[in-house]
Amino acid sequence: MSAMIKQPTNSGTGDRAIANEVQEAVGEKKPMTIYRVITNEYFLYCVSTVTFLLVWQVIGQSDMFKGALASPVQVVLRFDRMLTDTLAGLTLWGHIWASTSRVLIGFALASAFAIPIGLFMALNPYVDAIIKPVFDIFKPMPPIAWVSIAILWFGIGEPSKIFIIVIGTFVPCLLNAYTGIRLIEPELYDVVKVLGGNRRDEIIQVSFPASFPAIFAGLQISLSNAWTCVLAAELVASRSGLGFIIVQGMKMSDTSLVIGGMVIIAIVAWTTSLLVIILEKLVCPWKRKLEGF
Amino acid sequence: MKSADYASSQYICLERDNMNTPKIVCQNISKIFIQKGTQRVHVLQDISLEVRDNEFLVILGPGQCGKSTLLRIIAGLETPSEGTVLLDGQTVTKPGPDRGLVFQSYMLFAWRTVMGNVEMGPKLNGVPKAERRKIAQHYINLVGLQKFENHYPHQLSGGMKQRVGIARAYANGPQVMLLDEPFGQLDAQTRIFMEQETERIWQTEKRTVLFVTNNIDEAIFLADRIVSLEGKLPGRMASVYDIDLPRPREHTDMKFLHLRQMITDASTLTL
Repeated sequence: MSAMIKQPTNSGTGDRAIANEVQEAVGEKKPMTIYRVITNEYFLYCVSTVTFLLVWQVIGQSDMFKGALASPVQVVLRFDRMLTDTLAGLTLWGHIWASTSRVLIGFALASAFAIPIGLFMALNPYVDAIIKPVFDIFKPMPPIAWVSIAILWFGIGEPSKIFIIVIGTFVPCLLNAYTGIRLIEPELYDVVKVLGGNRRDEIIQVSFPASFPAIFAGLQISLSNAWTCVLAAELVASRSGLGFIIVQGMKMSDTSLVIGGMVIIAIVAWTTSLLVIILEKLVCPWKRKLEGF
Repeated sequence: MKSADYASSQYICLERDNMNTPKIVCQNISKIFIQKGTQRVHVLQDISLEVRDNEFLVILGPGQCGKSTLLRIIAGLETPSEGTVLLDGQTVTKPGPDRGLVFQSYMLFAWRTVMGNVEMGPKLNGVPKAERRKIAQHYINLVGLQKFENHYPHQLSGGMKQRVGIARAYANGPQVMLLDEPFGQLDAQTRIFMEQETERIWQTEKRTVLFVTNNIDEAIFLADRIVSLEGKLPGRMASVYDIDLPRPREHTDMKFLHLRQMITDASTLTL
């Protein structure tokens, strides 16, 4: 039967096609034409970033905002000074660490409680039925709404800020752990049953690992919430932190300090979320690589 | 003594091949699901069949005829509303390592490598690491996945995933293999190749096989015997075909095509 199948012959166009494939595989360089350079993705990234900074610089130097918009150069110079000068007794690094440590403590506390509770709720219907109604009352409350009560309860020191961060990060942590388990394909438990496992095996071999990606997604949301909360808390009352820098800038009409504070928050928040991504890669090596952060 | 029970089933032919004692006996199985508290869905009605030791039995039927439910009952994942399943004379009440199940949608553990998936059965049953690695490696080689031990499921093609599914079921040392439309998600060419592979694996490591499919070609290619179900709910047994074509079979063989025509004509699919 196989004798009837014609083998493709190595001639004519066939040869050329194979040669092209080889070229592609070896990664032989294509000629650099102007068209290919200006349509290059990374080239366009640079163009847009540089244009943005230039427009900002030009507007900042002009009188359009009457000095209310610091130019990028002014911002960089101001923060270069901040590295050595102190504001309320702390250098820039001190303020960065003040905010970051609050975020990390609140975040760690919240996830240490919220994830196990979420897992328990998803795995046990009785725990679910008891906790869920109360949780649902607190769920839609914006965490910033807790700022006033936090200050009344804990004063204006560290505990009130950490409390607000815990409130803000608790909900997404718990919800994602909960839904992570609820969305597991029930047939995966059947696999464990058929292979001879018991309920404990189902939880350890399926529930936990299958919910990891959802838990990490929850941690990401929590972390960005934590930064929102720490900012809100620091804007209201504090003597340190990046929120404090912004408030000081506002009080002194120093826009380079305000804008610089905003930029640094973005950089620090992005770095901490990068840490969560790295942790996820270590814990879940099976996860498909996702594009972009 | 048991034949009195079977007499109620008009389709089954008991006298045939009395040499082997049946491995699996299904006696008058019915299954009614209750949906939303009150709605009763009659899925299976009065199914009686027996599977001989090392027999390759195919359960053939179109979609939504209860054939997967029947397999899940035999696996012990569902309890029949009426009737019993006997495995080596023992009533089946729950899943057990004596039956291996292969799922239509693979159901691999995405967080485990090929090796991790295949060795899961022995691991759950307390086999020491070195030994279960050896068992798993044997079955990984059997299904032709050597060099892919450390790949994660998402790095594999559909056909390769189902090879892992088959190896995982085999590695637990079952006496009976239950396959629930295992190649339903594969493209036609891969499917035919996997059918040939299934036959090769079965010839190498003989087991009693129950294979559920909706594909007539697949059924004739693989089966010692085909049990076809009626094409509507509740699923009832329609007919039983003995396939005595020599193996390996050819899809284009005249006898193959005759059988195909016969089974197609007999199936009562109402849309």
